[in-house]
Amino acid sequence: MRSSHRLAFLFLLPSLIFVGLFALYPIFESFRLSFYRLILTLPWLGQKMVGWENYVDLWTDPVAAESLRTTLFFVVTTIPLELGLGLAMALVMNEAFRGRGLLRAIVLIPWAIPTVVSSQMWRFVFNDRYGLFNFVLFGGDASRYLAPLADPTLAPMAIIVAEVWKTAPFVALIILAGLQTIPDELYEAAGIDGATAWQKFRHVTLPLLRPALLLALLFRTIDALRVFDLVFVMTQGGPADATNVLSFYGYKKIFAEGMVGYGSAIAVGVFLVSLILSLAYLRVLKASRLERTPR
Amino acid sequence: MWDQPIADFEKQNPGVKIIREIGPQSSTQLHDLITQKLKNRDTEMDLFVMDVIWPAEFASAGWAFPLDRFFSLAEQKQFLDAPIQANRYRGQVFGVPLFIDAGLLYYRKDLLEKYRMSPPRTWPELVEEAKTILTREKDPQLVGFSGQFKQYEGLICNMMEYILSNGGNLWDDKRMVSTLNQPNAVEAVRFVRDRIIGQIAHRGVLAYEEPESLVLFTEGKAVFHRNWPYAWNVANDPQRSKIAGKIGMIPLPSFPGGKGVAALGGWQLAISRFSKKSELAWRFVAFMTSHTMQKRITLSTGRAPTRVALYNDREVLDQLPQLESLWETFKQAVPRPTTPVYVPLSNIMQRYFSSVLALPDTDIDNRAALAARDMNRVLDLLREAPAR
Amino acid sequence: MKRAAMLGIFSVGIGVYCLLPYFWFALTSWKSPAELTAIPPKLIPSFHWDFYRSALEERGLLRYIANSIIVAGTATCITVAIGSVAAYALARFQLPWTRAYLLLLLAISMFPQIAIAGPVWNLLNHLDWLNTYRGVVAAYIALSLPLATWILTTFFREVPHEIEEAALIDGCSRFQAFYKIVLPISAPGIFTAALLVFINAWNEFFFALIVLTDPNLQTLPVGIALFPGEYTMPWGEIAAASTLATVPLIILTLLFQRGIVRGLAAGAVKG
Repeated sequence: MRSSHRLAFLFLLPSLIFVGLFALYPIFESFRLSFYRLILTLPWLGQKMVGWENYVDLWTDPVAAESLRTTLFFVVTTIPLELGLGLAMALVMNEAFRGRGLLRAIVLIPWAIPTVVSSQMWRFVFNDRYGLFNFVLFGGDASRYLAPLADPTLAPMAIIVAEVWKTAPFVALIILAGLQTIPDELYEAAGIDGATAWQKFRHVTLPLLRPALLLALLFRTIDALRVFDLVFVMTQGGPADATNVLSFYGYKKIFAEGMVGYGSAIAVGVFLVSLILSLAYLRVLKASRLERTPR
Repeated sequence: MWDQPIADFEKQNPGVKIIREIGPQSSTQLHDLITQKLKNRDTEMDLFVMDVIWPAEFASAGWAFPLDRFFSLAEQKQFLDAPIQANRYRGQVFGVPLFIDAGLLYYRKDLLEKYRMSPPRTWPELVEEAKTILTREKDPQLVGFSGQFKQYEGLICNMMEYILSNGGNLWDDKRMVSTLNQPNAVEAVRFVRDRIIGQIAHRGVLAYEEPESLVLFTEGKAVFHRNWPYAWNVANDPQRSKIAGKIGMIPLPSFPGGKGVAALGGWQLAISRFSKKSELAWRFVAFMTSHTMQKRITLSTGRAPTRVALYNDREVLDQLPQLESLWETFKQAVPRPTTPVYVPLSNIMQRYFSSVLALPDTDIDNRAALAARDMNRVLDLLREAPAR
Repeated sequence: MKRAAMLGIFSVGIGVYCLLPYFWFALTSWKSPAELTAIPPKLIPSFHWDFYRSALEERGLLRYIANSIIVAGTATCITVAIGSVAAYALARFQLPWTRAYLLLLLAISMFPQIAIAGPVWNLLNHLDWLNTYRGVVAAYIALSLPLATWILTTFFREVPHEIEEAALIDGCSRFQAFYKIVLPISAPGIFTAALLVFINAWNEFFFALIVLTDPNLQTLPVGIALFPGEYTMPWGEIAAASTLATVPLIILTLLFQRGIVRGLAAGAVKG
């Protein structure tokens, strides 16, 4: 027993080193830095331990509060859209028909495109002078063209559209995998009992799909909380901070303004929110056998 | 603009090669990129350009190499004063000004002449003229004004021109407090929101930086346009502009009772603290900013030089007569205050301006007070500076 | 009949949804500079290659692609190597803390990048690994290990024990059993894991942005996000660069879509 454990440890050692060094250590370091005041452009101020000051500031910072609201709004809007669209797409792809393989491949394309590329692409679509969005809405009548990325109400919508476009297909695939494990016999039995398509959906499909749906929900929520690439390329947080999500705010604080201490507090804040949400989901998922369910 | 000088320098200095890297178009993104390199102690970058507001930050953080040993005070006097001051921090100089920029007002000479109007001297006059022209022209695609109002550094330049020409200021440099919540400043901001954006500009300007706003003008879709001097060449080039020859350029208007204010812009050359070839780097800096080179660049690109002598040079003035009228504007261009914490302060101001302009029913006084409070907290950090 | 028609309509709808924005953007890359700024926008371009030429010659697109290949390729190889060894241990040795470790990995893969960006940057700074391939590859390995370990553990668990046990009885060491028996059988799973890790690394932006500032080393996402432009937004070049960057990915995806889908959903529904 001992020697096999030692052997196992050896097998795991390289992983442990990387994970420890580049994932666990940084998160503790972020925690530590959040208790200091450290400003890179004012090196003569040094590193001063300020205790909870950064967190108090964070709590009372209207920009951070707004940022949290923006981020949560983003999460709460994209998830249902992705799940809904993904489910619809999966249901279509689940039917056996010719060309299904091709459709499945096409559906993978948005997922395969790098986020920065799709960000530039959507930025161009929403352009106020040559964009597809305006062309579809108003044709050649350029005087009525909108500028979605300049409007604090529309800009977040544009980001949401860009995000959902890319991730709904991914969700569709996860759900599709779930759909394909539901045995046909159940549908047949329900059919014999006189169930309509809708009833079949509600009473056979949905309950058996629950684990896959919840899993998709978990991963997508975490990913939505840490959205960065889209905002960086499409709006840089504007206009009027309307798309200033937490990750971007933290990035600006640490890497543009050099306010490492405060930025670390933001980083820890985002981490804690993710952690709390994950734990909440996991409790719900406990019924489904989570330990065997990777991405 | 760079290729020919680089080639010449390499010819004059055999064995030396200059590699040029172009960064993102937006000054804010360029700043983040260059500072990231400096934080990474990148030894590949020997020289870099600095926007006029960066020297203090770069000097304080220890990223820019002090140039006093190469750039004597006597030599500094050959240059325009405002840019030189922007490059100095705590008694040392950290950059050499390459060219100077100042905010200017461009207008459609043909349209103003058609309606027998003279170029506006005050902002309210500009709004009235624009409104009249828009009503009479009946062109649904025409707008009255095009400027840069996206949430980025350029927004500060545009807004300070309104605020300062109304007698207000961004912050008080001596007392180190924000003055954004003073009545003059708030009034100017309200004017921009309600009259400029509200009445004569297309809402798209809220996402515009220089390129987009200029394209609107050169396509003939804007009556008035605020931009830097480089726009003159672009707008007058028949290859790139539909209104070549139909434009005028004047100093920016003011509010009644105030004086027109142009934001000081411009770019400087600096040497990285982490460069291993500072002597060689200086040779290139000296070369690029020499009298001959500046004259050549000015003549070929129309960018305004920083050496005083060139403003009296017959050859230059013959080809670019507008420089004569710009001389006063350049001499009086107002820099944004120099401080190592400029970036956080700028972000706070950008946030404030952008929110107020984009959302028509925000309470400006309230927002101004909040912005001032945040700025003061940042400015307070400087009070602990060790005395020099 | 009606069912087929409905399915047809929905399928086309899905196809349009996935492809329209992309095609429109790709088509832009073939416009001439004048057509680009035409208002209203022209739908079908005349096939000009100006933007491609500009993107390749003046913007060093090939260098970005090469860097991405090197970084993503190296990260994938090392991640799969380390991850498969670890996954084998987790699948075979009945360790009491397997579940905890896997959950820990899951938790780590959920860290928001901003939470670890500063200290990772600092760490690389101390090691003098900033602006080096190994710096960014090291970060990518750490970021991809959770995903790779999960997938590989699942695949290894499904390999029947008998063959291995026979080999062990015959005197093979554990490592030999792993290397000579389990690995070849699990080749599809390993390939899938490698593909997913590669795509993740290829698309990664945040860490590449802060670690690689030397343009000779920058990867494709950074190049496309920070697309240089002295006076204007170079939409044509961006479109060209984006198209060039994504066509290989799309081909890869189309070729290996079965494997990818399997990997993505691996274990999501199977126990």
